[in-house]
Amino acid sequence: MRDIAIVSFAQAPADQPPGQTETLMLLPTITAALDAVGMTRRDVGFTCSGSADYLTGGTFTFVQMLEAAGAWPPISESHVEMDGAWALYEAWVRLQHGDVDVALVFSSGRASLGASLRETLTFQLDPYYLAPLGADYVSLAALQADAVMARTGRTERDLAEIVAARTALDVDKLLAEPYVVAPLRAHDVGPPVDGAAAVVLVAGDRAKELCDRPAWIAGIDHRADPHYPGMRDLSRSPSTALAAEKAGVGRGEVEVAELHAVCTPEEIVLAEALGLADRVDVNPSGGGLVANPMVVTGLTRIGEAFRQIAGGRNRTVGHASSGPCLQQNLVCVLEGR
Amino acid sequence: MAATWKLEFPYRRSVGPVIGSFLTGLRDRRVVGVRAPDGRVLVPPVEYDPATGEALSEMVDVGAEGVVEHAAWVTEPLRTHPLDRPFAWALVKLDGADTSLLHALDCGSAERAQAGARVRIRWAAEPEGHIKDIACFEPADG
Amino acid sequence: MAEPVQFMSHFTTVEYALPDPSPLNVHFAEELAKGRIIGHKCPACGMVYMPPRGYCPLCVVETTAKDEVEVADRGTITTFSVITPLQYQGQEETADYVQATILLDGSDTTIMVAHLDGIAIADVHSGLRVRAVWAPEAERGGATGSLARQMGLGSAVTSWEATGEADVPREHFAEHIV
Repeated sequence: MRDIAIVSFAQAPADQPPGQTETLMLLPTITAALDAVGMTRRDVGFTCSGSADYLTGGTFTFVQMLEAAGAWPPISESHVEMDGAWALYEAWVRLQHGDVDVALVFSSGRASLGASLRETLTFQLDPYYLAPLGADYVSLAALQADAVMARTGRTERDLAEIVAARTALDVDKLLAEPYVVAPLRAHDVGPPVDGAAAVVLVAGDRAKELCDRPAWIAGIDHRADPHYPGMRDLSRSPSTALAAEKAGVGRGEVEVAELHAVCTPEEIVLAEALGLADRVDVNPSGGGLVANPMVVTGLTRIGEAFRQIAGGRNRTVGHASSGPCLQQNLVCVLEGR
Repeated sequence: MAATWKLEFPYRRSVGPVIGSFLTGLRDRRVVGVRAPDGRVLVPPVEYDPATGEALSEMVDVGAEGVVEHAAWVTEPLRTHPLDRPFAWALVKLDGADTSLLHALDCGSAERAQAGARVRIRWAAEPEGHIKDIACFEPADG
Repeated sequence: MAEPVQFMSHFTTVEYALPDPSPLNVHFAEELAKGRIIGHKCPACGMVYMPPRGYCPLCVVETTAKDEVEVADRGTITTFSVITPLQYQGQEETADYVQATILLDGSDTTIMVAHLDGIAIADVHSGLRVRAVWAPEAERGGATGSLARQMGLGSAVTSWEATGEADVPREHFAEHIV
């Protein structure tokens, strides 16, 4: 296997001018990611992006976003209708072929344009048994919370403490808020926002020339659990545990873990599935509870895990998730050497 | 939101023999699951075993009553939810099933939507072969 | 026994907000209302984009107010279709109409226009010189909404008519058909 490193990560700033187009959010973000390592778009051998048409209701909208990547002369590119973390996985696979050394990964999404992300995400559900019931992701997360609390003895206060740790809000004030779907309150769910992010992957020693502390991808893997919530133990995430095992999380000490949890019970399930020790610094960036730029949130976790390596840490984990109640999970182990 | 537009999907989906058996059962006010290779009865039935990927086809009747495994109380239903008054989402393990079915539980208060509660299906007035032939669950003791 | 269930119907809808017009969209619309058609000229390659999108997709550089240029309200039909509207649910058209791409003088991108009311369908052809017929100033609602939703120049231009100039040979616009 080729050694591949993340050498750069850039995000679109949260405050964009009103009416900013997704392409114009992405263009400077991609430029910034490449500029940081002295590269231009011409240096990229493979481009892979993640997005989801259902966020804005437009078919093939990702094709417009390719203009931000610079698609003339024609480039070698691919796309996933998923979080950009899976675009990163595909780029990592592509670089293993050995013929190109540099990959650009990006994702963008304007979740603000949907009337309700809760309604939009019902489209990802089983069309026979779940979608017609309108079982939205917050309701499903609430069922997961019930399962987590029943098995582990965690309480609503424990959920509020997670929110407090990520947002600096006061626990008692949080607990005084009304439920959205019990036991979850508004702050238990990360607010859907617009966003864009880009990552540059480089294979081999060239990564060391481009960046003081490249984050080497020591392991990366993704797995899926059965879709139907009633067929799973919602308090656990076997797919995360398996992806963690295959990615080699347990082979060394993890200092920081960035987890793609957009609802509080998910942090509990994920930390357990990854086998994280209590001393691990979880979501120092705030994570998905602070802001959920749908389809960018997972790529951002891996980007933040890279930032920790760049900042001096030695071993971090970036996690991404997709589907109801953490159905599908990707685990990426990064090392600074 | 200022100006909005609406995307409509008028789906009509083929159901195949496994999902078809389940929906046919619902139309007849029966619940049908499928037997997995390890002997478990999966409700609602799936076409392939989640663990091994084997095609499944042995349909098994299960009861129309069962036990709440997990519940979550909705104070303000969305327009897309099954009920337009506060209700609980519930994962219900029907008698004879080894997995639980997700649906709405109309029980009046969060206190009555607890794990362990016995509930029964309230059938729609005119079942037609749709998951909403189950209008919702209700407490088994009325 | 009744037939087994073979199909399941599921009618579902999801609602979206129309994206706010970008400041550039708003500016384009304001200029249009004044009878000015503006574009952005890429500082790197010189291509003129109308309507302006705020960047050049070939050079991947942002374009701004300093790159603004004016584009003429006359140009050349590069290609067209005569559409016989299928009466599907939601169809608003009933009679045949033309949909054409027009390369306005000074622009490197075309606009798509439907209904060239001032030109008989049989007279429409590639290379035909046309000019915009502007709506009275008070009625130029301007092209609002996202760029993707603009057809032609919106309500600022009510129709197109032939200018009477000689046809443009295809070689002159072969690189700008659509």
